[in-house]
Amino acid sequence: MTDHTLNAEEIKPGVNLSYWQLVRRRFIRNRYGMVGFFGCVLILFISVFAGFVAPYHPETKDRETIYSPPQTVRIFAPEGGLTHPYVLGYQEEMDPVTYEITFVPDPTVRHDLALFVKGDTWTFLGIKFETHLIGTTDGRFVHFLGTDSLGRDVFSRMLVGTKITMLMGLLVMGASCFIGTLVGVSSGYFGGRLDMVVQRIVEFVKSFPDLPLYLALVAILPRRAEPMTIFVMFACILVLLRWADLSRELRGKVISIRSMEYVRSAVAVGASDGRIIRRHIVPNTSSHIIVWATYQLPEVILLESFLSFLGVGVQAPMVSWGTMLNQVRDFQSFAAAPWLMAPVGMIVISVLAFNAFGDGLRDAMDPYSND
Amino acid sequence: MTEPLLKVENVVVDFKTATGRVHAVRGVSYEVARGETLAVVGESGSGKSVTARAIMSMLAENASVGADTKITFDGEDISEFSEAKMQRIRGNRISMIFQEPLTSLNPIYRVGDQVAEIIQVHRPMSKKDALAEVVQLFREVQLPDPEARVNQYPHEMSGGQRQRVMIAMALANKPDLLIADEPTTALDVTVQAEILSLLKALQKSHNMAVILITHDLTVVEKTSDHVVVMRYGEVVERGTTADVFANPQHPYTKHLLASEPKGLPEPLNPNATPIMQADNMRIAFRIAHGSLFSRKSTDIVAVNDISLCVRRGETLGIVGESGSGKTTLGMAMIRLLDANAGTIEFNGQRIEHLTRKEMRPLRPRIQVVFQDPFSSLNPRMIVQQIIEEGLIVNGIGANSAERKELVAKALEEVQMPRDAMQRFPHEFSGGQRQRLAIARALALNPDFILLDEPTSALDLSIQAQIIELLRDLRAKHDLSYMFISHDLKVVKALCHNVIVMQNGNVIEAGPTSEVLENPKSSYTQRLVDAAFNVVAA
Repeated sequence: MTDHTLNAEEIKPGVNLSYWQLVRRRFIRNRYGMVGFFGCVLILFISVFAGFVAPYHPETKDRETIYSPPQTVRIFAPEGGLTHPYVLGYQEEMDPVTYEITFVPDPTVRHDLALFVKGDTWTFLGIKFETHLIGTTDGRFVHFLGTDSLGRDVFSRMLVGTKITMLMGLLVMGASCFIGTLVGVSSGYFGGRLDMVVQRIVEFVKSFPDLPLYLALVAILPRRAEPMTIFVMFACILVLLRWADLSRELRGKVISIRSMEYVRSAVAVGASDGRIIRRHIVPNTSSHIIVWATYQLPEVILLESFLSFLGVGVQAPMVSWGTMLNQVRDFQSFAAAPWLMAPVGMIVISVLAFNAFGDGLRDAMDPYSND
Repeated sequence: MTEPLLKVENVVVDFKTATGRVHAVRGVSYEVARGETLAVVGESGSGKSVTARAIMSMLAENASVGADTKITFDGEDISEFSEAKMQRIRGNRISMIFQEPLTSLNPIYRVGDQVAEIIQVHRPMSKKDALAEVVQLFREVQLPDPEARVNQYPHEMSGGQRQRVMIAMALANKPDLLIADEPTTALDVTVQAEILSLLKALQKSHNMAVILITHDLTVVEKTSDHVVVMRYGEVVERGTTADVFANPQHPYTKHLLASEPKGLPEPLNPNATPIMQADNMRIAFRIAHGSLFSRKSTDIVAVNDISLCVRRGETLGIVGESGSGKTTLGMAMIRLLDANAGTIEFNGQRIEHLTRKEMRPLRPRIQVVFQDPFSSLNPRMIVQQIIEEGLIVNGIGANSAERKELVAKALEEVQMPRDAMQRFPHEFSGGQRQRLAIARALALNPDFILLDEPTSALDLSIQAQIIELLRDLRAKHDLSYMFISHDLKVVKALCHNVIVMQNGNVIEAGPTSEVLENPKSSYTQRLVDAAFNVVAA
């Protein structure tokens, strides 16, 4: 053996990072991706602790205020100078000609805001809590985004709706990832007749016109079923039409991995198919699957909102962003209470956040980039 | 000496990466005059290509060039030039030939159009005139039948022909300086010789300055006037080629010069029994073609009726150009590929009809080392997992502690440190990865190892170390090798017997020394010439 000092390939000293450590470093340097990441974390936090963050239970009705507009948080006292944050109560006025009720802020009724106030009970993992993140000190209602036709707090409903929408998104994403991976990997790895059959099925699924099929499938759901049953069946329908993309993409990737020399050396040491798939194929497609999943979530969110808006998706009394938008279907209610459109803002924010996160992840996981 | 055409001074290039700044080039200076060839030698990662790209200002986006870097070309400081100004120089006064002729030509345009485009960009003329000039260029680079070639697509040409097109493209505007970045590394040895002599002849007729970037010292010795040896982004030695080769000063240069594969295999025991035997092997690939309604299929015969025998302790070399069927034959012998006909006998047991499951008990005894150490190690596993896999699968070692010891032992055998176990393959260089691949095979304690060009993806000085390692291991464990290669220099140092293959047929077979000294066919003669006297006279 030659002198070691002359061996040009000594192991380089210094940091040695695993793949995932490298990914994390690259991701942290991507500012847009990090913003998306924190957005996603915030949305997931809201969906898990919706009961705490929302001031009221989504079904709590404020009978005195129906279609009341958003209340602005004020920090300037009327007599001048900063003060404790507060909102003003509303004074109802009826137009004597049209009988239209308008709300005018009443400077004499002041509700002070406070953090961690007691309010409606909410449950988390079966434990009951009464503390809410924000509320009024005097126990009166405050509606940051106004109320709907039944006097329910739009802000609270929107936050609670995050739960159902995200649950739907994660459920559909998870299930279609699982099916897509299973089908795609086995189709690509085993090839031959199985591949031929599976890929024709994939094409069959992909050739359906999406929207009419969703409507048709939803139409056969039993009308009188529990909302939960409908929710699960609705998720199943979405999964049914979503796994095909991933399986097609993975098949191609697996075919290229299958011919890599490390797979052939695994065959040469006598490894079984199952082991090769588990230890060599799937880990090397994982980055693709993860990125696909983060792109899938916003799509499912959009689709859920859209179908629920049409009234064929999630059913009341379940609260999702889509069902909330369902209330502003007609022009009158839109004109009278534009604040009912607030869930649109949440949809846009969450879609942007998840897309930004997905973009960042894709860049960070690119094995060929080193910058 | 005349005024140098190109003078690079104090080139510094840094790359910003996720793991921090990488100093790729640290203060490199060299110069080259008209009509002169400067060879830049160094192993991969020594910064030789990066320096050349800095001259062309074609660096990647995350690169930054140092403030003191000065590149003077024909009296002008081009390091300060704007992108638009550089574009007028690139491909016109300075051209570059890249390593990979397969990817440097655009597959969807005819080669004639691609070369004509370069001409038209720099010199306004009609397409017709440009194409006429292309034909002229193709004639100059000795492409057979140049008029017809103009209308061909890159995939219709061989690697050597594509590299000739690249050279024609580089010469299109009569550059003053030609930078050739490993122009022959991706080519077969016999083609390499032709391309190099072509470059040499063209340089003379055009009076160009040439910077030849290479890691192959034989090429340097035969083609260059001056040489610069680089290592870790710095120049460690410079001088005229004759001087450096006759009297190397820096220990690294000495090490490089001493790294030609040397020595001969130990003599073979004449009474050795056969361990791996194949008779009348035939492998054909069925290619479907024809139109939709008249499907035809043709058998492409990759291996045509070949018989061979490897005896215990023997190293059998299989030599041939790419496409000669040598790898196909090897893979079929270890049952990673199915043969159409023929028998294979391992240690007296017929194995050609065994299923994959039935082969499993034999797998630890028959191992393989692949050509490309970058794709043969799973990037998501640490070294311990990679080497351990064969042990787990074959139930060797009772528990994980025992297996870990076996892994450590295998690493020791290939002279890798024990702490390599916890690292990922991407942290190692090519030579080290190939050692790991050998360790994976060795851990199973095999009798027979198929070595599929294990050194051809490696730098020359590392090749020699791997050859030495293989030779030591063979003696220590009484292994038998089947060694597939296109490089007769390596074969000479390692193999007892050799089989020369061409287009699926055996052209010549016999003891290595005999075949190399008295080649019977012109094909073998060409391979020998290419390996031992690079530039054909």
